[in-house]
Amino acid sequence: MTKSDPWLPFDEINQDPWSKIIAVKRTSGKKIIGHVLPDVPEELIYAAGAIPLALAGAGITISLAQAQIPTYSCSHAMGALELQLKGALDSLDGVIIPYVCDTTRNLYHLWRQLFPNVACEFLRLPKKLGDPDAKLYLGEEYLRISKWLTGITGQEINKDSLKASISVYSKSRDQLKLAYLKMQSSPSTWSAQRVISLFESSFRFPREEHLILMNNLPWDVDGGDTSDRAKIYVRGKVWDPPEITKLFDELGLTLVGDEIVTGFRSVMVNPIVNGDLFQSLVDRHMSTIPYTGYYVDPRKLVEDFVERTRSCGAQGVVFLNPKFCEAAAFDTPDMVNALKKNNIPNLVLETSSRGTSMSQIRLRLEAFKEILADDLP
Amino acid sequence: MEPINALKAMKKLTSDYFTSAHMAPHNNKPVVYCNVFTPVELIYAMDMFPVYPENHAAIIGARKMATELSSAAEGMGYVMDLCSYARCDIGWTKARISPTWGLPKPDLILVINCQCGTLTKWFEVLSRLYGAPMVLIDVPHSGNGEEDPAAEIYVRRQLDGLIKTLERIAGKGLDESRFKEVIRLSKQASELWTQMLIMGENIPSPMTVFDQFISMFPIVSQRGTETAVEFYGNLVKELEERVKHKIPAVPNERFRLFWDNLPIWSELGRLSSFLADRGAAVVTSIYTWAWSQLAVNEQDPLADWTRQYLYTFNLNLGYRIERYVELAERYRLDGFLFHSNRSCKWISQDVISLRQAITERTGIPGVIFEADQNDPRLYSIENLEKQIDSFLELLSVKTNKV
Ligand code: SF4
Ligand code: SF4
Repeated sequence: MTKSDPWLPFDEINQDPWSKIIAVKRTSGKKIIGHVLPDVPEELIYAAGAIPLALAGAGITISLAQAQIPTYSCSHAMGALELQLKGALDSLDGVIIPYVCDTTRNLYHLWRQLFPNVACEFLRLPKKLGDPDAKLYLGEEYLRISKWLTGITGQEINKDSLKASISVYSKSRDQLKLAYLKMQSSPSTWSAQRVISLFESSFRFPREEHLILMNNLPWDVDGGDTSDRAKIYVRGKVWDPPEITKLFDELGLTLVGDEIVTGFRSVMVNPIVNGDLFQSLVDRHMSTIPYTGYYVDPRKLVEDFVERTRSCGAQGVVFLNPKFCEAAAFDTPDMVNALKKNNIPNLVLETSSRGTSMSQIRLRLEAFKEILADDLP
Repeated sequence: MEPINALKAMKKLTSDYFTSAHMAPHNNKPVVYCNVFTPVELIYAMDMFPVYPENHAAIIGARKMATELSSAAEGMGYVMDLCSYARCDIGWTKARISPTWGLPKPDLILVINCQCGTLTKWFEVLSRLYGAPMVLIDVPHSGNGEEDPAAEIYVRRQLDGLIKTLERIAGKGLDESRFKEVIRLSKQASELWTQMLIMGENIPSPMTVFDQFISMFPIVSQRGTETAVEFYGNLVKELEERVKHKIPAVPNERFRLFWDNLPIWSELGRLSSFLADRGAAVVTSIYTWAWSQLAVNEQDPLADWTRQYLYTFNLNLGYRIERYVELAERYRLDGFLFHSNRSCKWISQDVISLRQAITERTGIPGVIFEADQNDPRLYSIENLEKQIDSFLELLSVKTNKV
């Protein structure tokens, strides 16, 4: 790759978001708020005049964290802790940890105990998606978090700043959606590796600047060889192991949909702006594909999942289940059975930055592609 | 060791309970699956039958059937990293063997998530398996236990909604006087349970946490019944006698220890003897203390539950440290046994910070050993005993108790 490579800036952000963000902080003078994935509303952070920076633990080599949290914890939590322990997050002005599972709940308490000088808040996400009382509660919770953010940045979140923030994020999501479609129609230029790098970097860089960087991409390239490719749908938390998208490209697997929190799930829904802007963010959260720790009617949870895979024409489903993630592991068997009933092949990969063998994963994906090839028209 | 006679009633009590549970559908009593902190008083007051998959799993563990039933669940696709309670209970549905003849089918599945998130996911599996409706009482975790008025409204409304759901399923309204009676009985049981726990402050202690673990069944599943009150009434009376006559649970009590986290059900007898042989009395545990805080008042029980769920059971590290420090003083503890429980991430993931803070604050040492509440394949009992042995040696040097 050369310096004029339009894809390069996104890879650079992902390779070392921590030093990149220090440079941004220096030039913009803005505060940086780290947020553990998923579902901390970036719009609120941005509207308070700060830059949100997503903390994902996948792909981080764990050493220090092992002395603070038992090894039967997921890589996501251990990785985030590792980053703070080794000082990679020293430039952050605050951290928000969401309540999505017992592990993030414990992570918050450990954070407070181990780093008493770091401003850290817990986003009390209600678990019942779609429930009217849960919506009311989440609205109040967003207000509470907003006040905390204002305490850090000194900037009130008002109607104008929130409207501007929602607008930037909605534009960014629309553009990322287009990129996702390009990946399906022109996979040789818009490879999964490149497109997912776009998605991931959007969580780690000022959004308006990210949008500008995206303008340089080859949007006019259209079409390409899509024969001998198989369409897959992916469920999981983050792109873990990070090399997985490269493997998809190499093996001719096209992503037609996913539920990854830094994937298509993150751009599917934009807030509908009318009236109460906080409520529009609440509605966005409530209508986004349920992350594995949330609650919807148990049967509907499985049925809707199968329907999503079918409606996007996936020939197969890949589960990227983080090892030690209880929520994902409880959902999987019934989802697998429902997929089987609908003749949709699937592959369950258990991922962890401690001990995932890429050659094993490649072998299993190759075999899976073979199965899907039998289904190809 | 002189056994506690009152505990002998447990066998019949459990057997009667499971017989009634299996008879419930034939007696037109709707069966409600619950978790340990659900407001069981409402279920009894509605003349429904509460059934606890957690208890089922613990009994499976205690009867050493966990390996077989966990394996059955693993065969269904539930990986070994999942809570072994869930694996044992789900495994029963396939293997069809269980010391309680399994559980009757549920008419409703009720879960409250101030405990752990695992239960919600486990019960979702059961809900799909049995085609039973599920109600989740969602309790936002209020960080450090600070007041959260919006959450109080959210939880309270769900409890109001729960009553309506129960009334719909039962086909009748909640009888207020029956409800008050159940609450009164529940409070009595809870108070007796607390009295029993306090007995452990005596030197020598008349009972150990292993006895407490064995006697937990009624306080979990039969709060609000005469059975629980009678059982704990007899137990407390006997313990009072033991205190009076200085009858120890552990002869030659040398060390007084704390047990953190759930028991290791499959090793209860072995560990109890192992520690007793070394003069180590495990006199208290945060786990058994939980049930002393479950009582509510008749005036506005829903308000009391709301506050309990939000602020008492919503464990946080800061609260735990304060509580352990307080118990260390009250029980004159020499050491802490921290069970780092692979199954229960909810109360295990902060164990390293917990031990460090406790030792810093009290000067009392603790040992962390990794094991599992039910699944013996996840630890080695021999290694665990070696670890405890070394810890006791350290304690004897530190405390000069040879
Ligand atoms: S939901 Fe799963 S992957 Fe995410 S933090 Fe919790 S345990 Fe880890
Ligand atoms: S995770 Fe812990 S609290 Fe939850 S069901 Fe398992 S043992 Fe019980």
